[in-house]
Amino acid sequence: MDEVDEHVTVTGESVIVRPVEELYIIRRIIARIMVPLTQLYGLYVIMHGEGGPGGGFQGGVILGSATILYVLVFGVDEAKKRISESLNNLMKSTGVLIYAGIGLLCIIFGGYYLEYYALPLGHPEKASELGILGVEIGIGITVSAVMISIFFDLAERFEK
Amino acid sequence: MFLQVALVIVFSSIIALYRAISGPTIYDRVLAVNVIGTKTVLVLVLVEFIYERPEFLDIALVYAIINFIGTIAFLKYIEKGGLT
Repeated sequence: MDEVDEHVTVTGESVIVRPVEELYIIRRIIARIMVPLTQLYGLYVIMHGEGGPGGGFQGGVILGSATILYVLVFGVDEAKKRISESLNNLMKSTGVLIYAGIGLLCIIFGGYYLEYYALPLGHPEKASELGILGVEIGIGITVSAVMISIFFDLAERFEK
Repeated sequence: MFLQVALVIVFSSIIALYRAISGPTIYDRVLAVNVIGTKTVLVLVLVEFIYERPEFLDIALVYAIINFIGTIAFLKYIEKGGLT
């Protein structure tokens, strides 16, 4: 509150000009609480994809929507400090690399493409579970990055 | 019991739909859409009790989160004419 400065207008009234940090304070506080919870929930959906509703794509969309909420509340410039264009491109390609890498590992260990039973992780069912989990993590990373970049493109097109 | 409660909630969301269609200002429409979203969350939770499938609770949580973000985005678009 010490940032508040008073301006005296022409008619002699004093008007309190609030700094930008105090504008939209409800939206900012709620977003500060909601963004980490949404990200946590997205990770939960990715991790429990094989046993419940959801999976890599849905969890990735929830992860991306957390960042979209951050962009909506704090602005594009503030968000690009956190997630830059190059980091976003890196995340997109890393997810595809994980997906294709696990698929090719299955070929290397003597199975078909994405045949998880061939992975040497002990029991074949254990290998299948871990393989599906790895593939879904890859899908989640890619989908969240693609969602963020689609939203950035749309927002910048509206701005022009 | 749960079925009757779900039917009552669906009927009240139809009333909110009337307000969303014929609202005089844009804020009536936003409020009505928000009410319909909240009632959808409640109906999803009740469906979980009716069919005894606990997976529906996850879907209800996702719907609550997405509904909140959608309302924020829509209000920001009305206020500034853009999403940034």
